[in-house]
Amino acid sequence: MWSVGFLIILSLALGLAAWLLFVWSVRSGQYDDPEGPKYRMLEDDEAEEERRRRRPG
Amino acid sequence: MRCDHCLLEFPEREAVRQEVDGAARAFCCAGCAAVYRVIAGEGLGAFYAARRWDEPGPAAPPGGADPAAFAGLLRDAGPGAAEIDLAIDGIRCASCVWLNERILSRTPGVLSARVNYATHRARVRFDPGRVGLEAVLRRVESIGYVPRPWSESEQGRVRAAEEKDLLVRLGTAGFLASQLMLYTAALYAGYFQGIDPPTRRLMEWIALGLALPVFLYSGAPFLRAAWAGLRHGRLGMDSLVALGSGAALVLSVAQMLRGGEVYFDTAAMIVTLILLGRYLELRARGRASEAVARLARLAPREARLVAPGADGREERRRVQVAAVAAGERVEVVPGERVPLDGVVEEGESEVDESLVTGESRPVPKAAGSAVIGGSVNLHGSFVFRVTRVGKETVLAGIVRAVEEAQARKPRIQAVADRIVGWFVPAVLVLAAGTVAAWLWRGAALDRALLNGVAVVVIACPCALGLATPLAVLVATGLATARGVLVKGGDVLERLARVTDAVLDKTGTLTRGRPALRQVVPLGDLSAESALRLAAAVERRSEHHVGRAIAEAARALPGAPEPGVEGFRAVPGRGVGARAGGEAVVLGNRALLAESGVALPAGADAAARRLEEQGETVVFLAAGGRAAALLAVADAVRDEAAAAVASLRALGLRLAVVSGDDRATTAAVAARLGIDRAVPEATPSGKRDGVARMQAGGRRVLAVGDGINDAPVLSQADVGMAMGRGTDVTLESADAVLVRDDLRLVPEAVRLSRRAYRIIRQNLFWAFFYNAVALPLAMAGLLHPIVAAAAMAASSLFVVGNSLRIRSGAGPAARG
Repeated sequence: MWSVGFLIILSLALGLAAWLLFVWSVRSGQYDDPEGPKYRMLEDDEAEEERRRRRPG
Repeated sequence: MRCDHCLLEFPEREAVRQEVDGAARAFCCAGCAAVYRVIAGEGLGAFYAARRWDEPGPAAPPGGADPAAFAGLLRDAGPGAAEIDLAIDGIRCASCVWLNERILSRTPGVLSARVNYATHRARVRFDPGRVGLEAVLRRVESIGYVPRPWSESEQGRVRAAEEKDLLVRLGTAGFLASQLMLYTAALYAGYFQGIDPPTRRLMEWIALGLALPVFLYSGAPFLRAAWAGLRHGRLGMDSLVALGSGAALVLSVAQMLRGGEVYFDTAAMIVTLILLGRYLELRARGRASEAVARLARLAPREARLVAPGADGREERRRVQVAAVAAGERVEVVPGERVPLDGVVEEGESEVDESLVTGESRPVPKAAGSAVIGGSVNLHGSFVFRVTRVGKETVLAGIVRAVEEAQARKPRIQAVADRIVGWFVPAVLVLAAGTVAAWLWRGAALDRALLNGVAVVVIACPCALGLATPLAVLVATGLATARGVLVKGGDVLERLARVTDAVLDKTGTLTRGRPALRQVVPLGDLSAESALRLAAAVERRSEHHVGRAIAEAARALPGAPEPGVEGFRAVPGRGVGARAGGEAVVLGNRALLAESGVALPAGADAAARRLEEQGETVVFLAAGGRAAALLAVADAVRDEAAAAVASLRALGLRLAVVSGDDRATTAAVAARLGIDRAVPEATPSGKRDGVARMQAGGRRVLAVGDGINDAPVLSQADVGMAMGRGTDVTLESADAVLVRDDLRLVPEAVRLSRRAYRIIRQNLFWAFFYNAVALPLAMAGLLHPIVAAAAMAASSLFVVGNSLRIRSGAGPAARG
C-alpha cells in the first residue's frame, strides 16, 4: 500500500511539473511562430558569428 | 511583371521598386533588390546589361519612416534595454527574414532581433544609450524593406489571446486526462481481477480530483456558453458537451457513494476531445485570414502631395491617404494606384480602371478628366486636384455596399449544430423515458435516475467535436497547399453546396491585360513579316498595346527584326519610325490619315467588324501603303476553357458578368460556351443580380478580382477572389486564389464537396457508435468500459475518415 501511495504521489508530481513546463512554454510564446525553426535550422553562419563575437577586434 | 534580378514573374502589386545607379528597377522582393545593389555596387552591373529584360518599372521615391510614429510602441525591457515590435513590409521568403535578422543583429547596440516567419513581426531589443530608434529603422530601410509600427487589429489581438487561452485549457485537460487514465485502468483491472475496497476508494477519489479541474477549468468555456444558451432557450453543441460531461461527473459521484462503477474518464475525455476540435478549427481559420490580411496589406496607403514648400516653390511630400483633404493636389507616377477621386490638372496618361469599373480597355486621361481612386496609372505622370475624400469616394461607396451585403448574409448553421439542435432534446426525452420506464417497472427512484443519467452520458458523442474540425483542417490544409486560402470551415460547407457560378470577365476569365489576337495582311507583306516589322517599332513603345504586339512577336521563329531609327510616339494616336529603310507608321485611323496613307477597300469594314467584337485595331503602314491590321484585345486565359468545362461537369450553372460593353462580354462568353452573359453591370447591379438568383433558391459562387466585384463577392454564398485583387476584394471574399490559375476554382469546389461528404459520414458514425451503446444504458447495463470503448471507437473512426480527404485528392493541377 505504501509503495502504491508513493508511486501515485510521484506520478502526480511529475504530471504537475510537466504541466507547469507546458504553461510556461505557452506563456513565453514558444508556439507563436511554428514556421521559423525549420528555416533557422538551415542557417549555418551562426557558428561563424559566434567566433567573431568571441574574438573582439 | 518580371524581377530585374532573378527574372521571376510576379504580380505587379508586389513589386519592390528602387532606383539603382540612376535607373529605375523592379524586383520581386527586397532580397533581390539588395543583391542587385551589391552586384551593381561592385561594378558588376554589366552582368545585367548582358541579359535581355522587358519592363523596368518606375521608382517610388524613397521616403524614410518617421520615428515619431513608433515612439509610443517602445517598451522598457530591463536596465539599458528597450524593445519594440515592427511590422516589416516587403518580406516574401525565408531569405528576407534571414537578411533582416542579420542586418539588425549586426547593428552595434542592438541586443537581439527576431522576425516571426508567419506574421513578419520583428521584435528588436536594443540599448537606447548606444543606438537610437531612428538608426534601427534606417537600418531596415537600407536593405530595402519598410518598417511600420506593429499594430495588431483588435480582432487579431482577441483571436491570438483566445488561441493562447484555449491552448492552455486544452493542454491542461490533456495532462489531467492522461493521468486520469492511469487510475481508470487500475479500476478496470480491479473490475475483472478483484480489488480491495480501500484501494478502489483511493483510486476513485484521485480520479474525482483529476476530473474536477478538467470539467471546471478546461470545460469552463462550454459551461459558460451552455448557461447562456439555456437562458435563451437554445440548445447547441456547448449545451451537449456541458450536459454530457456534467452528467458523467454527477453519475460517477453518485455511484461512488453507492459503490457502483465510475465514469470520470468519460467526463474528462468529452471535454478534452471537443477542446481539441475547437483548437484545430481556430488555428485553421486564423492562418487563412492571416495570409489574406497580409496580401491585403501590400496595397499602398500613401499619396504624393504637391504643395508649396517653405521657400514658396512646389514640393512633393509623401503623406497618408487619410491626411489628404479635398482641393489639394496629388501627383501619380506610372504604375501607381490613383489614391483618391479627383480631376486631372496637369499631364496626360492612360488609366486602367478595370479593377474599379470592370472596363477592360485603358481610359485616356488629360487635363479636365475625372479619375477614380483605386485605378492604376499606366504611363505618364499627372497631377490631379482631389475632389472627394473619405466616405464620399467611389471606393468608399463600394466598401459600404460590401458591408451591407455582409451584414445581410445569413450565417449558415454548420451541419453539426443543425444535428445537435434536435439531438439534445431527443436525448433528454429518451432519458426521461428511461427513468419513467424503470419507475413503472417498480425500480427505486435513485436506480431509475441513475439509468436516466447514464443514457445522457453515453449519448454524448465526443467524436462529434472532432468530426467537423478535423475534416475542415485536412481540407483547408490541402486547399492552401494547392493555392486556395479558405477563410473558415463554414465556407467549405457553403462551397460544397453551390448550384451556380458567376464569373467576372475582366481579370478573371481574361488576363486583364491586352494581347495580340490576329494580324490581317492588307498589302503584299505576309502576316508574319508585318508582325515582325510592327514589333520592331513597338518594342520602343511604352504603351500597353505596343507591348502586347512586341510580346507576340517574341514567339516568331527565325529572321531578326529590322533595325529601327527615328522612333517617335504620337500620344493618343500611335507611333512612327524608320525601319528596314522605310517609313513605318502604326496607330489608329487618324494617324494613318495624317500620314497620308489611304486604306484599301474592305480594310475599314474589316477593322470595324473587329472593333465591334471589342478588339482594339492598330493599322500598320510601311512606305506610305497600308500593310496590315493588328487586332489587340484582353485575351481569355489559357486555362479558362478547361476551368469552365470542369465547373460545368460539376453540375454548376454558369454566367459571365462584366462592366464591359455587350459585344466584348458576349464575345468572351461565346468563346467559352457560356450562354448567360450580363454586360454593363455596375457593382451594385452585379450584387442585385446575385441576390435575385439567391431569392430563386440558387446558391451562388462568385469569382472576381476587382474592387467592383467586392459587393458581389460578399453577397454571394461563396465569394472567391483572385490573389492579384485589391485589398477590398480580398477582404470581402470567403476564399482567395493565391495562384493566378482559374482551374483552382473547380478544384476547390471538388475538394469542398469531398470534405462535406466526409463531415457527414463522420457525424453519422460518431452518433452510430454511441447509439449502439444506448440500449445498454437504458437497460441499466452500461459499464464504464463500454462507454470508453464506444468513445474511442468513434473518435478513431473520425480521425481515420478525415485523413481520407487527403488520399482521395487527385494530383495537384500545375499551371
